[in-house]
Amino acid sequence: MPVDTKFIGREYKPITYVVGQEKIKEYALAIGDLNPLYIDPGFAKKSKYGTVIAPPMFVVVFTRDAMFSLFEDNEIKIDFARLVHGEQEFNFHKIVKANDSIKTTSKIKNIYQKNNNDFIKFETKSYNQDSELVVEGFWTFIVRGK
Amino acid sequence: MAYKINQEITPFQIEVDKYRPCYYAGASGDFNPIHIDNDFAKAVGLGGVILHGLCTMAYVYRAVMNNKDPEKLKKIKARFKGMVRPNDKLTVSGKVTAIENNLATIDLLATNQKNEHIITNACAAIEI
Repeated sequence: MPVDTKFIGREYKPITYVVGQEKIKEYALAIGDLNPLYIDPGFAKKSKYGTVIAPPMFVVVFTRDAMFSLFEDNEIKIDFARLVHGEQEFNFHKIVKANDSIKTTSKIKNIYQKNNNDFIKFETKSYNQDSELVVEGFWTFIVRGK
Repeated sequence: MAYKINQEITPFQIEVDKYRPCYYAGASGDFNPIHIDNDFAKAVGLGGVILHGLCTMAYVYRAVMNNKDPEKLKKIKARFKGMVRPNDKLTVSGKVTAIENNLATIDLLATNQKNEHIITNACAAIEI
């Protein structure tokens, strides 16, 4: 059954995530990025940032629960076995640092069908504790047709 | 560094080790069984576990930003075209296609050892 377009515009409860220094390190090691700004607190402290910072792609960690708000939406009922991540775009505005508290809002921007597949366009906006926009995410998920 | 139109980035190569999807699942919180359970991945027709697309996208990020100030990255985008499996060897290549408004745009492509396209329609915008 196609994904119902009546869910266009649906917004999810904001997600708050406190960025941990060790979590940044774990993520940096997982992607093999050994930039000392991410993994060496002594080095990072002496940098212009004054503390450990998160790699830009760490956005996927603090927006993870926003994404799962969509995946686990019992009304939309996305068929997880047919779900594919189609495209991804991030616009970065501000560096995220260890101990930042990041609040992410999310919204379904569009739902449409193409070639028997359902496309879901999802948007996230993440703000730090000073209410500064740090990153916007534009997510395209595809539910493959049967 | 100064960017020039049509300048190619140094190709970035990485071999995806056998346990990478497990490490990435733990770090990202994405434990979809298609990434960590070979039997499950086979049962749903994938032939075996595949790496998270966002992990490959992080490699694209590394290709353009290695040892640069992360603050310079303003945008990155990618289309997930092909699947990555453990032991695959990936190459990310790219070329500067525009320089305007203090931003260099680099178009990017990730391929595997069989020259299959993994990430296409990708680009990064970097402050110069």
